[in-house]
Amino acid sequence: MTEINVSTLTPPADPYPAPNAGNVVDAPVSFTRKVLRLTFERIGAQLGLFWIVLIMVLAVFAPLLANSHPLAMKSNGQWSSPLARALTPTDVTLLIASFAALVLWRLKRIRLATRVWTFIGIIIVAAVVSCVTVKPPLVQVYDTYRNGLVSGEISKAIFVPIHYSPDDHQRDVEDARLKPPTLAHPMGTTADSADLASNMIYATRIAISIGFVATSVAIVMGVIMGGLMGYLGGWVDLIGMRLVEICESIPTLVLLLAFVSMFQNHPDQALYIMMVVIGALSSFSYAEFVRAEFLSLRDRDFVHAAQAGGLPLWSILFKHMLPNGMSPVIVNASFGVAGAILIETTLSFLGIGLQNESSWGSLLEQALGAGGNVFWWLAVYPGLAIFLTVLAYNLIGEALRDALDPRLNKMA
Amino acid sequence: MLTYILRRLLLMIPTLLGMTALVFCVMAMSPGGIGGAALAAAGGNVRGAEAARIRAYYEKRYHINSPLIVQYGRWLNEISPIGWREDDDGNFTTFGFKSPSLGESMERHRPVGDLIAESLPITLLLNFITIPIIYAIGVWTGIRAARHRGGAFDSIFGFTQLAAWSMPTIWLGVMLITFLASNQYLHWFPAAGLNEMTASQMKFLPFFDPAHHWHRGWVLDVCWHIMLPVACLSFGASAFLTKLVRGSVLENLGADYARTARAKGVAENVVLYRHVFRNSLIALITVAAAILPSLLAGSVIIETIFSIPGMGQLGVEGARFQDREVILAVTLIGGIITLVSMLLRDIFYVLADPRVSYD
Amino acid sequence: MLLFVSCPTLVNGATSRYFLLHMENRFGLKDLFLFLLVCGLIVLVLLQMKQYDRQWDVVQEVRNQVNDQTKDLARIERMLQQGVVSTGLPTTTHAAPPDVDKRVRRIHSAPDFATGDDVVDVLLSPPDKLTALINVDLYSQQIQSYVLDTLIDRDPVTLAWEPRVATDWKVSPDGLTIDFNMRRGITFSNGDPLTADDVVYTVQMVLNEKIEAPAQRVYYDKVKSCKKTGDYSVEFVFSEPYYLAFEVAGSTQILSKKFYSQFTPQQINESTGLLLGSGPYRLPDPTSWKPEPGKPVVLVRNERYWGVPGGPDRLVWRIIELPAARMTALRNGEIDMFYQPAADQFDAAKADPQLSSTHNTFAIPTLDSGYRYIGWNEKRADKPTFFADQRVRKAMTMLIDRQRIIRDIVHGYATISTGPFNPMSPQTDPSIKPLPYDPEQAQKLLAEAGFKRQNNALFGPDGKQFSFELMYPAGSSTGKRAATFLVDAMAQAGIVVRPAATEWTVLLQRTKERNFDALLAGWGGGAVEDDPQQIFSSSAIKGVGDNYVQYSNPKLDDAIDRARRTMDESQRMKIWHEVHRILHEDQPYTFLYADEELDIVDKRFKGVEPTKFGIVKQKNEWYVPRSMQKYHD
Repeated sequence: MTEINVSTLTPPADPYPAPNAGNVVDAPVSFTRKVLRLTFERIGAQLGLFWIVLIMVLAVFAPLLANSHPLAMKSNGQWSSPLARALTPTDVTLLIASFAALVLWRLKRIRLATRVWTFIGIIIVAAVVSCVTVKPPLVQVYDTYRNGLVSGEISKAIFVPIHYSPDDHQRDVEDARLKPPTLAHPMGTTADSADLASNMIYATRIAISIGFVATSVAIVMGVIMGGLMGYLGGWVDLIGMRLVEICESIPTLVLLLAFVSMFQNHPDQALYIMMVVIGALSSFSYAEFVRAEFLSLRDRDFVHAAQAGGLPLWSILFKHMLPNGMSPVIVNASFGVAGAILIETTLSFLGIGLQNESSWGSLLEQALGAGGNVFWWLAVYPGLAIFLTVLAYNLIGEALRDALDPRLNKMA
Repeated sequence: MLTYILRRLLLMIPTLLGMTALVFCVMAMSPGGIGGAALAAAGGNVRGAEAARIRAYYEKRYHINSPLIVQYGRWLNEISPIGWREDDDGNFTTFGFKSPSLGESMERHRPVGDLIAESLPITLLLNFITIPIIYAIGVWTGIRAARHRGGAFDSIFGFTQLAAWSMPTIWLGVMLITFLASNQYLHWFPAAGLNEMTASQMKFLPFFDPAHHWHRGWVLDVCWHIMLPVACLSFGASAFLTKLVRGSVLENLGADYARTARAKGVAENVVLYRHVFRNSLIALITVAAAILPSLLAGSVIIETIFSIPGMGQLGVEGARFQDREVILAVTLIGGIITLVSMLLRDIFYVLADPRVSYD
Repeated sequence: MLLFVSCPTLVNGATSRYFLLHMENRFGLKDLFLFLLVCGLIVLVLLQMKQYDRQWDVVQEVRNQVNDQTKDLARIERMLQQGVVSTGLPTTTHAAPPDVDKRVRRIHSAPDFATGDDVVDVLLSPPDKLTALINVDLYSQQIQSYVLDTLIDRDPVTLAWEPRVATDWKVSPDGLTIDFNMRRGITFSNGDPLTADDVVYTVQMVLNEKIEAPAQRVYYDKVKSCKKTGDYSVEFVFSEPYYLAFEVAGSTQILSKKFYSQFTPQQINESTGLLLGSGPYRLPDPTSWKPEPGKPVVLVRNERYWGVPGGPDRLVWRIIELPAARMTALRNGEIDMFYQPAADQFDAAKADPQLSSTHNTFAIPTLDSGYRYIGWNEKRADKPTFFADQRVRKAMTMLIDRQRIIRDIVHGYATISTGPFNPMSPQTDPSIKPLPYDPEQAQKLLAEAGFKRQNNALFGPDGKQFSFELMYPAGSSTGKRAATFLVDAMAQAGIVVRPAATEWTVLLQRTKERNFDALLAGWGGGAVEDDPQQIFSSSAIKGVGDNYVQYSNPKLDDAIDRARRTMDESQRMKIWHEVHRILHEDQPYTFLYADEELDIVDKRFKGVEPTKFGIVKQKNEWYVPRSMQKYHD
């Protein structure tokens, strides 16, 4: 009896072959993937993405790039790592989150949704655990390391590339305030006698978080408002539109000032409050877009079908109608992030923003001295950072818009 | 059409009321309440009980302790041409026609009308000089880019347009001051203000004095001071407009009537400037209403950087000191300007495009 | 602009044949130019009209001056005809009463003395009002001090009371009644005579609730009455013994009854420039001054001044808002002096060889400069805080290197404060030396108070970590720098400081509620003799008092009380010394420093003598020799 090698048996011919069954290129691709591919084909969006990834990397690895605490220190014959001990819960969470993101991104076999939820879960767990376990020292005196090296108490110390923390005011040096760039301080020093490069790196955290949180808040609030207005119509729409009109006609800066001063009682949470306030004020334009889309979608068949099927309101709005009406929101989200960063810059420049941490805007404000002197390094570097970040988001937004709007595709 | 305009004007009133009421509520919720900072500043160096007496005096004078509704109602009474007249002691007398007034600033103790009369022209000057400039630049560059689509100008333009639009106004202003207007580098422009200190003694037009020295004169002096602020303001907006014009012109260049004109043998130039150009301007009109309010917002920053005493600075100061009258007046005027410009835009939309009608 | 846009599109709506036929109706480019030209012409005409208005104003001013001079000449002619010679119209130094303007007389007796020239000073922003009584800021008061006269005046160096409008005075033994005899023959700058009626009128005006002058009114609280006892004598009666009574009564700036009674209180409140007085300088027009951006404030010589005439012909204040522009103006000679530049501007001026050769720089400790402090709140939520222990407060002071703060933040232009009184005031006990910067001693004190050190941080006797929030006014760059300095200084000792820049309103609210840990702020000066009762006595803890830190010491309360009731100045000063000693021992505040006044003045001005009040109030003493005068009229 001849052995039958199953592997050499060919399957019978399929009388009804599926169209393009063997052609991988024409396999159905999801809308999201297509949009993303179209967007990032363009050189502008690629550059923008590169810059944003760069500042994210800076934000995550900030304590490992600029720190007054040595990475490793030998004192009394014993090695220790003051830097590791001085890490805050935020630092640890960010590091864990980025590592997790990298790992999850490579595991392409798992579904995207699962990966996203796992990522969120890891962040939450990491945040909780690090808040409980990570305890940076209560008092930080940066001069001890430099004094120790001079006096000989510390025999060897290995520092990270920029060996100044953003709040290291160099009290052991007689006058380090507002000095132009030198070898020791490649970007010069600030009005607080701190190193500018270090401050700029840590300020990326503020820029990124303000952008994302403010825009997320704006989108969530705007979608809910706009969705309800567009779908329900009638007097809800009437009153809602009046409210939106009112809020858009008010000089935003005045309103923002009034709001920001309202939360002066909580200086530690000022950053988060500011993000929420900026988000709330920007939500009205998203509401208008969503409302317009929903008004036109309201009479479509699939909506009637969903209503006839007795689905609850939130399901109709967010699972059926929203995915169809999201495109203007997504396009404007990118511009919205840029806008939020600019608003924060303005507030910091007016002296109203964060007080204890430096953001790019507050660093820029130090460029024009009170005595009429100008400090070019404080004008060029923070300003350039703001400009490039805003440009990056705008480039991505433009590319997204071109990818999502078929009519414009033909034109440009 | 007339009924439409009338209807819009009447609808402005509830919007303005809503705006001012909202701002008033936000102010009231801020720490210190209405007039908190102004009263505090009024105490000055005087201590304790005396300061409290001074504060009590101002509270009585500006009715700060009345319930919020009453304060807001008083303000409405003040600004309306029909209402109760108030005599010197603050008591209400007759009801009837009266001259509307904007009240008195709690921090500077001067009538708000005077403060606005001093600062509004400056802000308007800044903006009204900027608008023609951005339109001129926008239209010229946009048409040029559309005409030579794909050429060198267009590619360079496309690249710089987004950069110009993303440029933060603050950074531009600070950089210009640092490098062009300071003692340390180039001092081509003055760093601040709208006039030299000797402005009130200057003649208006440039002249030569007997010693053959050339004097700038008031008009040229203001022009010189205003160059940097206007440059800052117009930078981003003109880039935005250029892109809009380019897109609109391109769209129209491919339209049927343009093709017909070309088929008839009309030169490309004529097609562009006589037919397509006017149709593309419709898009510009639509955006015009959004430009003035955004310029007003932008001019707040410019006024702060260049120390120009305009309305933006007045508003910021009022917000800082929770000066009720000033904030309400600034909101009212800002709102009126925004709403009127939106109305004008709609009117000109009708005039421009006969297909549109609101009746 | 939009009109231009709409018209062509209007036409375009028609068919092309239509517009080919009606080409003349097209609104083309040349029509646009015409339109713009017409607009431009209209604008220029409007501007021309405005300038014409301005010329008209100047002409009016000149006409008023000529009228005044004609009236004066006519009056002199009449008097000469009647045989009366020089009655009350002194025009030379010798005709001025000998007991007045002694310093001016002495300085002007220099050989190179000449009248003339202008002093051009600079202000940050135009004063909102110059009207007497209702002005609200420091600069207006400076300007007014040259226009208005008072009954008596302090010598700026010896601090003794000198006669001015009053020739002599009598204080009753119980201190409640003060009589002043006034000089005869003084006129206001418009010629009206100054009599006792004007003094009485002035006090009435201050006490009038309808006039918006609450800041002045509080000082006149205790004035029971002010009445004239003769054409040239007044009597003040106070309701209770008040150690400042004499000062309050004598420092009344005398307003003209005839001039001010023309206006209703409301008109006065709303006016911006009603300023008429009998001082050495006057406003060119006492009714019409308005603040205008860019327009300088000008005071001209009062030709009818009854004392020794001032050296300069005019006092000018230019308005320059931006600090950079002020320094440029100083370099260009557009302004002659700069009062209170920033510390780094001052240093830049001193270091600049060109500027220092043409200008003198002054750093003057002044009596009315106020002081900066850190207040340690002793009770919070009804429980004593760490700072309730005097040893802890003393340790905090010793942990702060005040000399370094002065050096770093104000470039050395300040003096360490040891108490609430100005270091130059007679109230300060000169034998008290500031606590030294001694971190080791401070640690010892803290250990005594029960603090233990655990891996670099300090823990209190109850086991809580020593960490507090330092509140300071937002927007103050000096405050921020001082706060960051303190954070680092305390960190060295193991104490965690959380700086909190707070908006002014919130700060006031929190201090009112006593809801803070530590407060970094300052008290302004202004008075020669300061009253610490509002800040440090226990009666000021509750209610409207300013004892934010809730410090209480019965010995201190008693001493303050005694001092306030002591009318004899030398006795009173001894009690103030006692108060100073108690406060130095208890350290309820860490007193930081008192600022010095900084000035940069053109070298051509002679007679610039620093006094205990600085130099800006003494401009009438200055003069410029004829050869160096810059502004000739």
